[in-house]
Amino acid sequence: METNFVLFQPTLVTQFRALAAIVRKDWKQYWRYPLNAVSTVLQPVIWLAPVYFMGKAFSINGQALGFAQYSGTSDYMSFLILGAVLGNFVNAVFWGMGYALKNDMDAGVMESNWLTPVPRLLILIGRSLTNLSVTAVTSFGMLIVCRFVFGFHPTGDVLKAVMAIIPMLIGLYGFGFAFAGLVLIMREANTLVDMSAFLVQVFSGADFPVTILPKWLLPIALILPLTYGLDAARGLLLKTNTLLSIGTEVILLVVFMFVMLWLGSWIFYRVERRVRMLGTLGQH
Amino acid sequence: MTTQTIPLTRSLGRPNFLSGWRALWAVIKREWVIFLRYPSWFISLFIWPIIFPLSYVMTARALSGKDGIGMAQFQAATGLHDYTGYIAIGTIIWMWQNVVLWNIGFSLRNEQLRGTLESNWLSPTWRFSYLLGSSVPQLISMLMFLTVSAIEFVLVFGVQFQGSLWLTLLVLLAAIPSVYGLGFAFASLVITAKEANAFVFLVRGLVMIFCGITFPVSILPDWMRPIANWLPQTYIIHAIRSSSLSTDGFPAIAGDLKILAIFGIFWLTFGYLVFNWMEHRARRTGAIGQY
Amino acid sequence: MTEFAIEAKQLVKKFPARAGTGDKKTEGESSSTPKKRRLPFGKKEPKAMFTAVNGVDLQIERGEIFGLLGPNGAGKSTTIRMLCTLLEPTSGTAQVNGFDIVKRANDVRRSLGTVLAGERSIYWKLTGRENLEYFAALYHIPQTIAKKRVEELIERMELKERANELVEKYSTGMRQRIAISKALLARPPILLLDEPTLGLDPQAARRVRELIAELKQEGHTILLTTHYMEEADLLSDRIGIIDTGKVIALDTPEGLKRRIDQKEVIRLELTGWHDDLADKLKSISGIENLTTHQQGEADLWEVNLHAQNSRTALPRIVESISGNGTRLVNMNIVKPSLEDVFIHLTGKALRD
Repeated sequence: METNFVLFQPTLVTQFRALAAIVRKDWKQYWRYPLNAVSTVLQPVIWLAPVYFMGKAFSINGQALGFAQYSGTSDYMSFLILGAVLGNFVNAVFWGMGYALKNDMDAGVMESNWLTPVPRLLILIGRSLTNLSVTAVTSFGMLIVCRFVFGFHPTGDVLKAVMAIIPMLIGLYGFGFAFAGLVLIMREANTLVDMSAFLVQVFSGADFPVTILPKWLLPIALILPLTYGLDAARGLLLKTNTLLSIGTEVILLVVFMFVMLWLGSWIFYRVERRVRMLGTLGQH
Repeated sequence: MTTQTIPLTRSLGRPNFLSGWRALWAVIKREWVIFLRYPSWFISLFIWPIIFPLSYVMTARALSGKDGIGMAQFQAATGLHDYTGYIAIGTIIWMWQNVVLWNIGFSLRNEQLRGTLESNWLSPTWRFSYLLGSSVPQLISMLMFLTVSAIEFVLVFGVQFQGSLWLTLLVLLAAIPSVYGLGFAFASLVITAKEANAFVFLVRGLVMIFCGITFPVSILPDWMRPIANWLPQTYIIHAIRSSSLSTDGFPAIAGDLKILAIFGIFWLTFGYLVFNWMEHRARRTGAIGQY
Repeated sequence: MTEFAIEAKQLVKKFPARAGTGDKKTEGESSSTPKKRRLPFGKKEPKAMFTAVNGVDLQIERGEIFGLLGPNGAGKSTTIRMLCTLLEPTSGTAQVNGFDIVKRANDVRRSLGTVLAGERSIYWKLTGRENLEYFAALYHIPQTIAKKRVEELIERMELKERANELVEKYSTGMRQRIAISKALLARPPILLLDEPTLGLDPQAARRVRELIAELKQEGHTILLTTHYMEEADLLSDRIGIIDTGKVIALDTPEGLKRRIDQKEVIRLELTGWHDDLADKLKSISGIENLTTHQQGEADLWEVNLHAQNSRTALPRIVESISGNGTRLVNMNIVKPSLEDVFIHLTGKALRD
């Protein structure tokens, strides 16, 4: 008896369906750990508390006038809360995307995923979409909590601000592709991820206006694209002083986005090839 | 072959007073050797003491404004005009508790995941030795960390330690039982918890909010201050700031030391009791070894 | 000092049933609940218990090798864990080396050498030697004796050249040898070996079995669990077959096999097997048990039938299987093996 084997051809539709399946799986998996989700909302709030009180210790009659001298607003909490939102995305990319592949490898499911005829990058894109949506949801939750606990007063155009940071976020996730590859080939990535996520947040001005930095540290802040994204968002929402004009900053972000998407994919593919050559895929 | 073998009835083990200490020493040695075999500790040792306080110090710099116009209230509340040392100390103590929660707090759970907890449990050694033993190398590495931090604060941040080294060491000594007792309790409680990370975030979050790591506790609203008074870290931070940055001497920290002594006894006892409870429960439900 | 190395009387172990634990459910006595539903007003459903061990009696003589045989979920691991004091029994008592497992737990631990989880039971970031030195201290072995003992065992296990390498670089077989050495450090009178050859290649497994035989000669009492029939048959002085938490048979290997001597085993090799054939064959009178096993990937199936009288059953068997695409490739009438004893007693194969 003969059977005819048919190879299913990939089409655009099937690729999208695969993508949707990946997103759905990751989304479901995430919310199965409810405590972790709750702590993702509350953690940034907790980290804002010491600065909130510190700010009070430096206020004159309840006004952070010193802060206003540097940033253009005395509403330091709103300033920092926006930084916390950026921090959420940085952490989500560094930890979530960074370990996206490594976790799969450790759990033993990576080989199963890798053996499917789906382009590897698509798996990462699916991951990124879930990651982005989840982080957006938890950040929104965080903003609501912050509004009640600390007071959050964005006075500018919310829509424009959101649109301005979209290229930055896309670029950030492009970086995430490269990072995922890097973490894969490192044995002990924890310290690196921990430290770099923290440093990126610090130097992109999440916790203070970057103009505060001593002259020799300022360049680090200026080459980070995230600095401009955060700056633009603050400028649009809080009418703060910005480093460059907002228009310029947005253009920079768009360039960043294209560069990162290309660079991230390229690095990812190089690493993936290397992994295939060395055969480290299934090993721990 | 019909030679009759005489069955063994006794093992080679000779338990006595010394052998118990030798077992504890073996645990300490084991932890130390394994710790040194993960190279990343070295980087953490030198880099975190600078970058972690850095973010808060920079924010404080922004808040204090040009020409320090925001400093008045800070000075009034703390009696200090140098916020750098103030913040650096608070954040280092937070880091200490954080690391203890992760390292000691997860020590039993990690062993269980790896499979070695069972091996240890099968031996006739007093089981609390494992917690005690693993905390010693951790303590030594923390002392190294604190020393490096202090040096880096002086060199990088320009902090001026005008206080007394001996008094500071005294405070640290008083602090150790609370910090590690909490770690012991944690180790026993999270061993079977599903989302154990969330508990670390909770406890270190409490310290972050209430203990005045970057601000004087007097700034807290009235309803929050009592909570701060129940956390040993509040007193540790206050006492170390006083003993290392100011010249106020022993009288300024005597109250803190007394309270820390009481907390220390409580937390060590509590940690021990929780451990025993967990150990008995594990024998009934088989939680150990079946993850 | 009691006569027996290990004596267990009606050991019972019940666990609170947790929904979706993934524990293999055993038939018969277990009463695992379906997912607990939250009743209104916080009323609690009565706690359902899952019985893993349901009244196990054992008497293991000093100097013997006792094999505990049973499928997954039978209660072997739970029984072993009670004997080595990791678990407390719900009811029943046991003495190991004369010490009660609950009241003198520490003395029990001193008397035992246990190999439970093989390569996971040692520290991968320590060398082989460091692992042994560490555990020697935990077993209160005086320092000078400990040093000698560690070297002795490294030599015996043929690990001398690699004793100073990290265990993470060892092969599975080597790690298993370190795990066994760890159990032997204090030269304990009694050894508990839980599936000692699991996951080892045939050569390594053979060495372990040789070692076990040697250890018996050296005076150790050994309680061995396994689900490899040949291993139990080869090594054990006596075997206890455990299923659904109870010891259902206890005898020497020959004694057990003699139980089904009158029965014969008809072994068929077929192609084109389908499941409803199983019912057809079982309905033939005189056929008591049937197990099937697919040989590799080919469409070749091995079917074992226990029959009272093979001669009368044979024609009916042949008749039942002919047609419908089934073809008989080979047929044998064989003497029962320990596996067949097991099937006879439990109705299922050990591999299930």
